[in-house]
Amino acid sequence: MGFWLDLTASGLITGGIYAVVAVGLNLQYGLMRIMNIAHGEFLMVGAYLTWWAHTALGVNPLAFLPVVMVLLFLAGVVVYRVCFLKITRSAPSVEVVEARSLLIGFGLMYLVQNVAYLVWGADLRGYSFLTDPVEIGETRFTANRLVVFAFALGASLALLAVLRFTLIGKAVRAMMQSPVGAQLVGINTATLHPVVFGAGLALAGVAGALLSMVYEISPSMGEPYTVTALIVITLGGLGSAAGCLAGGLLLGLVEAFGMHFTNPSLKMLLSYGVFIAVLLARPKGLFSK
Amino acid sequence: MSAPGLRSILAATGVSAVVLAAMPWLLPDFWLSLALTCLMYAALAVSWAMFCGATNYLSLATSAFFGIGAYVTAWGLTTLSYPVAVILGGLVAAAFAVLVGAAVLHLRGAYFAVLTFGLGELVRHAVTYFEKSYFRTVGRVIADAPSSTTVYLTVLLIAAAAVCVCAMVRASRLGLALAGIGADEERAQTLGVNTRRAKILGFALSAFFAGAIGAAIAVRWTYIDPTAVFNPFIGFQTVLIAMVGGAHTLIGPLVSSVVFSLLTEFLRLQFPYAFLILLGTLLILLVLYLPGGLASLLQRRWARG
Repeated sequence: MGFWLDLTASGLITGGIYAVVAVGLNLQYGLMRIMNIAHGEFLMVGAYLTWWAHTALGVNPLAFLPVVMVLLFLAGVVVYRVCFLKITRSAPSVEVVEARSLLIGFGLMYLVQNVAYLVWGADLRGYSFLTDPVEIGETRFTANRLVVFAFALGASLALLAVLRFTLIGKAVRAMMQSPVGAQLVGINTATLHPVVFGAGLALAGVAGALLSMVYEISPSMGEPYTVTALIVITLGGLGSAAGCLAGGLLLGLVEAFGMHFTNPSLKMLLSYGVFIAVLLARPKGLFSK
Repeated sequence: MSAPGLRSILAATGVSAVVLAAMPWLLPDFWLSLALTCLMYAALAVSWAMFCGATNYLSLATSAFFGIGAYVTAWGLTTLSYPVAVILGGLVAAAFAVLVGAAVLHLRGAYFAVLTFGLGELVRHAVTYFEKSYFRTVGRVIADAPSSTTVYLTVLLIAAAAVCVCAMVRASRLGLALAGIGADEERAQTLGVNTRRAKILGFALSAFFAGAIGAAIAVRWTYIDPTAVFNPFIGFQTVLIAMVGGAHTLIGPLVSSVVFSLLTEFLRLQFPYAFLILLGTLLILLVLYLPGGLASLLQRRWARG
């Protein structure tokens, strides 16, 4: 019994992080058709900022979380203005927006990753934070993993609440349903798009900050998370935040159980297997009607 | 567009190939290896553009095909001769492309790009796992590799063949079908094009050249492991070269593959991070301000003058 609980718990903890990473990307893609393949790079930036604040300034990583959010939100607004505004305005069709934003994303990936290499070097970095074990039932967890899970879940649920209950959330949902219709009833794309893009990066930053509390970080850590985020989006369905949360947790569980019963080096194979199977069988997501 | 005729393209390719074939006896080793890199990226970019430029599919599977070719050489060179290994490498990559293409070519846009990117990673992990559990190795040493002149001439031959085939495809029904798919797939379908078959055929053809190049160039490394030959950088670089040059043209990818190989060779070793930062910035600027590639500059000038 303890063994099943253990696997489930570690799957859910990884899955919670996956959900936070994916939900930001999903919002950006669902709303603007911008496929920001450099999403994982901004997660990495969040992780490094937290690491730096903790080791150089002695700030508590959890207290630093809001700062990371604000910084990456601002970065997102700037990146949107500089890189993506022009293509969303000038591209003749949605498909072209997608293709060009993908290429710009690759450019950003090179740019951000290598700036990180220059600034922080290629070594693995880490710090220990809340590593005392906590016992729940018969299983032991380190406290930081529980904190990470709680915050990841909290961030996802908070986003869901914002989307459901606030005016801006309503505007975002309307925009996803029908861009033209939303503009007709007075929703302003010029403010909504940068805000949503910034929110996406802020969530990536939060995920990175949380990851840095548990794992060692490196400038190339982001890319696998981008791919995982895409898998989660496929599972949960485009533009669906709730689907993302469910998909993220599900993928975490699949990985945890799959790795246990087969082989740890098959982790990527498993994720891609799930990805391809879902794309072929249910291209609109597992939870679509 | 005043494109030169098919016959003159083939003639020009033949003449350049003959001239370039003399290089192993004229150039010192360093420059020869540089020329080899140029030819490798020329073949990869031209064959990529043949399918992806026409259809507007963004495939990142080049590194998967390249790596498959390289591993065919690594596994087969002890029993097969070098030319057979090269052709087999191309054929295995093409067969893989047919399989994959049949499954995923109905997807478009970002999904296709990400899936093909994942494909490279998938094959890399699969090969690593296979090697580890059956042969207990990580990489392989390639014994008795052919001389660098042989390798150069082989790669030259593949590159020339890629250019010729690309030119011929453009002029053929298949090329028109691919261009039609790029413009509007549903319309092409309505007009009687078997889009599924055309896409799989085009995808496999471009994979053949990537696989053959991988198989041919693998012997130059003497030691290969999955991380090196399935390097996603090969796929990105190919896309970048083709897009910078102008993926809708034949000459664009050729010119930019020379420029990029020189840049890479000189800058990447000395300033690895700064080089990639430059590359990233260049890509962003290009997409924003010159989405048609360098070739669109030329065309604009032709149209004006």
